[in-house]
Amino acid sequence: MTNSELAHGREHVVATVDEIPPGEHKVVPIGRYGVGVYNVRGSFYAIANYCPHEGGPLCVGRTRGTNVADESRPGGARETREGEFIYCPWHQWGFELATGTTAVKPEWSIRTYPVRIDGHQVVITA
Amino acid sequence: MTIESIQTEAGAGLRIDASAHVFFASDAELREYLGEPWASRGFPTPDVTHSLQLGNRYVHGSQPRPDAHAGSDPEFVGKVLFDEKGFDLAILHPMTVGVLPDWHLESAIHEATNRMLVERWLDSGTYADRFLGTIRVNPNDIDSAVREIHRWSGHPKIVQIGLPMQTQSPYGRPHYKPLWRAAIEAGLPIAIHNEMGQGITHPPTPNGITRTYQQLVGFQPLNFVYHLMNMIAEGVFEEFPELKIVFADGAIDMLTPMIWRMDTFGRPHLEQTPWSPKMPSDYLPGHVWFVNGALDGPGEVDFASEWLRMTGKEDMLMFGSSYPDWQTATIESLPSGWTAEQQEKVLWRNAAELYGIRVPANV
Amino acid sequence: MTQTEIPGTSTTTSVRVVDCDVHPTPRRGALMEFLDPKIAREAKLKGQGAENGLYYDPPDYHHSKAMRVDAFPDDGEFACSDPTLAFQQLVLDSGSDLIMLGPTSGGMGDTDEEVTAMAAATNLWQDAAWLNREDNWHGRFYGSICANITEPERAALEIEHWAGHEKFKQVLIHAEPRPSWGHPKYDPIWAAAVKHNIPVACHLGRGKHNLLPMSPVGFMTYNHDFMVTYSMLAANQVMSLIFDGVFERFPTLQIVFIEHAFSWILPLMWRMDSIHAARGNETGLSKEPSQYVRDNIWFTTQPLDYPEDKLELTRAFEWMQADKMMLFSSDYPHWTFDEPRWLAKHIPDQMRDAVMYQNALDLFGLPSQVPALPGQVKAF
Ligand code: FES
Repeated sequence: MTNSELAHGREHVVATVDEIPPGEHKVVPIGRYGVGVYNVRGSFYAIANYCPHEGGPLCVGRTRGTNVADESRPGGARETREGEFIYCPWHQWGFELATGTTAVKPEWSIRTYPVRIDGHQVVITA
Repeated sequence: MTIESIQTEAGAGLRIDASAHVFFASDAELREYLGEPWASRGFPTPDVTHSLQLGNRYVHGSQPRPDAHAGSDPEFVGKVLFDEKGFDLAILHPMTVGVLPDWHLESAIHEATNRMLVERWLDSGTYADRFLGTIRVNPNDIDSAVREIHRWSGHPKIVQIGLPMQTQSPYGRPHYKPLWRAAIEAGLPIAIHNEMGQGITHPPTPNGITRTYQQLVGFQPLNFVYHLMNMIAEGVFEEFPELKIVFADGAIDMLTPMIWRMDTFGRPHLEQTPWSPKMPSDYLPGHVWFVNGALDGPGEVDFASEWLRMTGKEDMLMFGSSYPDWQTATIESLPSGWTAEQQEKVLWRNAAELYGIRVPANV
Repeated sequence: MTQTEIPGTSTTTSVRVVDCDVHPTPRRGALMEFLDPKIAREAKLKGQGAENGLYYDPPDYHHSKAMRVDAFPDDGEFACSDPTLAFQQLVLDSGSDLIMLGPTSGGMGDTDEEVTAMAAATNLWQDAAWLNREDNWHGRFYGSICANITEPERAALEIEHWAGHEKFKQVLIHAEPRPSWGHPKYDPIWAAAVKHNIPVACHLGRGKHNLLPMSPVGFMTYNHDFMVTYSMLAANQVMSLIFDGVFERFPTLQIVFIEHAFSWILPLMWRMDSIHAARGNETGLSKEPSQYVRDNIWFTTQPLDYPEDKLELTRAFEWMQADKMMLFSSDYPHWTFDEPRWLAKHIPDQMRDAVMYQNALDLFGLPSQVPALPGQVKAF
């Protein structure tokens, strides 16, 4: 938004790439609830800051991976795809940042927005 | 498993009694079957004051002789179930004396019980071709339980393995896995039923012992909830997709609210149990059955059919009389509002499918 | 989250939501000044080096502490330790008009003596820190008289002490101790409550060792299966209350089960009525068991357990006559929080007013009109 002439159509420049280092996110005031822009190991994703379950502020939640059974590991489980999921701060439902869905009950998904990097800028279409 | 030797009468009124209870005629008879060194040991009888019942333990007239326990005489029981009540087949489930601290003794009692069941009910007598049996095994002695399952699994009339409802730890815990493996190898479902007598059980309710029989008898069948929820969360049905569990004390009516609860609460908890990745209710079909209980709701209401459909209960419920218990259920007391299809499922179809009972195609 | 809606010129507004389950937490050390000095000294010593003791852990516990993560105030204190933030999130942002506080600290302690002392301290602290003029300037907070069920005589004294206080509207006890509530040893508690016409509520308590609440078939493995089976504890207490004749001895006693879920009461009512009919009223009741449920027992809405097909839930509400036994609750600030706007949508139209506020107004004797608050969200 610092450089609005670069935004065309419903595109919004929401940050510079440096502003959101890997593992970090930024909530920008787009729409009714805001949009969270996430950097997962260099890939940028944008989601609505609104949980489809009971309406919790999704982007207050923690990002982490998802757990899978793995008998070779102590306790029989391991975390995989670290940081690729957002977990709601209210009831801890998890959603894949890239797609907005989950393995269980994919019909309960969150809103995601296309993100592209234009030079140093993070641009989302929302 | 298919039971080639069982051919039921064709016709619309087929009826399977999915649970009738078998007893020794007396403590003395059990001791005879046991032999020494067990015959001289001390252990309870199935009926103890601890159950709090003010008399009225068994249905009136169910004692074959004054000195014989109800449910102990195959000729007498056969006459009642088949000739009088009109069942075509009955699955027998022996009751024993309690969950005993000495697991050697307990396993010996189970072995004696199984031998009695097979010799007196399944292999001989007027009604032998109508009786199918449940062998009892001891979950506190897994090695012998597995041996006992293998020993009887070839018997054509053994259709089920019986376990006590009261346990030291719920059936989801990993040390039971050899039991589930053996059951699957034998192709037999597991039936879980409240054990009689008394023994090393936790208090019968979360608040300890009760002051009334009403509270005790109201709570006992609900204990299936703990086992089922624990088995689901522990991933038992994920690891053993062929495992089939029958809760034989009734209370299927509690399944609907409790599985809603398990599902709703499950969504965020699945991350803790990746060995059970599906929604809890997804594990019910094909894994869980219930014998109906005489005290189960909803009774004669206009939504009985709708209620039975919810949670797929119509595919899990099997009529069982629990004869000769005082809570003996009768077909006449089932809700009249069920559809014809629901009645068929409950009265025989679900049981025939579960126990592999071959039914003539024109039924 | 905040939607702003400026009310008109009127200065009072009708209560539309009463939240019957909110958990204020004392700031670190805040209870000490109210605690019996001996217990306070011992608590300090026992607390040295002692940290988390929880072992059935909700999702992401190490980070979430089993709370709505956004309910932690900025000052580093625990969730729902700041009356101003709680007021903002619950009353202004979510549209709850009146709040029944149910502090969990009143049931804590390792011995009966400690729990009794903690209950007393918690009551004093509620009065001083949440129900006082300054923090409760809006008058939206009401409190619970915490009482230790394991020491019934002392619990009764505690009830006597606070009953009649205009802001304490219910008694709060635990359900997991043995024996169950029908035992006459608890009669002093019911007698005190009935004498003062104050309902007795219970929240999820957590005993130690095999007094958890304990399942009769052994320990559950996870928080998932363990928490779900709290409903079984409540079912057992319902049967005890009824068959042990508590409502025969105290016909006006009102019991509230908080957070034990509720849809199980439908089959339990059927079961109790069947038992009663089949055994020929051996327990000498004057009514059918299900009638006591309707006359004497209440359930809070959270956790709302719903099936895939929401119509089934609607039907269950109708069959159980939910409008005669349900009270709205959010469980704020716990992670299992239910938003009033979300919850209200699940209640059948003709039952919504009763469940969201009217039952609670009648049961607790709360005002139906309150001063309007600029900027408050309307829940429904
Ligand atoms: S509101 Fe997000 S998980 Fe419930």
